[in-house]
Amino acid sequence: MYDAPNLGATVEQKDIKISAKKVQVYYGETHAIKDVDIEVQDKTVTAFIGPSGCGKSTFLRCLNRMNDTIDICRVEGDILLDGEDIYDKRVDPVQLRAKVGMVFQKPNPFPKSIYDNVAYGPRIHGLAKNKAELDEIVEKALRRGAIWNEVKDRLDAPGTGLSGGQQQRLCIARAVATEPEVLLMDEPCSALDPIATAQVEELIDELRSRYSVVIVTHSMQQAARVSQKTAFFHLGHLVEYDDTANIFTNPKDERTESYITGRIG
Amino acid sequence: MNDKHIVSSFDAELEQIQAHIMKMGGLVEEAILDASKSLKNRDEELAEQVRANDKAIDALEQRVNDEAFKLIALRSPTAVDLRVALSVMKVAGNLERIGDYAKNMAKRTSVLVHMTPVEGARSALRRMAREVQLMLKDALDAYIQRDAELARDILERDRDIDQMYNALFREFLTFMMEDPRYITPCMHLHFIAKNTERMGDHVTSIAEQVIYLVTGALPDENRPREDHYRAELHLSD
Repeated sequence: MYDAPNLGATVEQKDIKISAKKVQVYYGETHAIKDVDIEVQDKTVTAFIGPSGCGKSTFLRCLNRMNDTIDICRVEGDILLDGEDIYDKRVDPVQLRAKVGMVFQKPNPFPKSIYDNVAYGPRIHGLAKNKAELDEIVEKALRRGAIWNEVKDRLDAPGTGLSGGQQQRLCIARAVATEPEVLLMDEPCSALDPIATAQVEELIDELRSRYSVVIVTHSMQQAARVSQKTAFFHLGHLVEYDDTANIFTNPKDERTESYITGRIG
Repeated sequence: MNDKHIVSSFDAELEQIQAHIMKMGGLVEEAILDASKSLKNRDEELAEQVRANDKAIDALEQRVNDEAFKLIALRSPTAVDLRVALSVMKVAGNLERIGDYAKNMAKRTSVLVHMTPVEGARSALRRMAREVQLMLKDALDAYIQRDAELARDILERDRDIDQMYNALFREFLTFMMEDPRYITPCMHLHFIAKNTERMGDHVTSIAEQVIYLVTGALPDENRPREDHYRAELHLSD
């Protein structure tokens, strides 16, 4: 008789970076997020999966108050970043978003040079005292975005002139330039080809050593490949949250099983 | 859980692989029964047939493995689907081994028909083979019906097979001590008994795969083993 493999045992316990309790989100009358409790670990990639309209993107956007920009959106409950309520009146959403960076589905570089795209955040947050320091920050960010070698000779060229995959890595470099603690990614690879996707996934894995990464993805294989923790959302509920290996080999909830095996959309 | 995939061809492929397992299971059950029948009736022709039929079982195992391999590569199965893909390969391996033991029983029968019959042993061996075949039938039913309870029951029943083997072992020893002329046939009969006992272990392994398939974990309790005869004879593992 051999022992049943415990795939989850390889995931070590990390510090809690974000703690959400009883979160409700309403768009006008629509109750989009219902009673979500989740603890996102530091230095871990957490994937949010679920069918379209399940609330995973909505919940992700709560984590850096992107929903503030939507008038009819109302958020209730507590979301704590390092133990501090991010919806507290004293919190400046702009400062918060420097700490909690975001990468979107479609690469959206500013219509500026590659250099200025990355330098934008550090400039408005006053992270560099002089040009030399700014140069250093830009180079470091582009290196972390795994795109430095491809653009180092043309930093003055427009960011919009890069290929889709390069643009997305530029956006990731831009997001990490302000030294965030959490990186939110909303379907960062859905507009990319498989090679660019692999490059971004490799990058995500590297970023994990410094940041807490939360990624929303429709590709379950991507969630399985890049994340250590997976949360399954369905109809506004957080149905199951566990080690990724458990979610994909032996989920506890029938709805999770039906979704990941392709039985419900 | 909803039983059907959104992509129906996925279901068709999973069903096809499992249909091969069932077909393989049917052939193996037949091989056990025919081999033990040929032993009982000293029927050399039937024994020859069992040996020839083993090729079909081997071919089916290959087919199950090929299809499971393709399914894993092309469909990226997860959760229960992944467990189906992995378990069919293991179950096919177990069935193929049982088929080999049946073939070996037929082979020894071809030798035994030309020797002095050993009284009583052939009936006991046939009962043992019959019991293993029934266990296999239930294990395959448990597999198809995803019945972990029935599978657990099979783990218990394997103890009876072990006991039958231990009893036969002593009987053969007695025969051989009484009359050295019995040594050659009894050695063959003992190998048949041992192989039948091994068949039971493979059926048990299939039952464990059913439990893994249904629950996602292998049974963890140690299976009770009847091995006091080891102590008696100073045998070690």
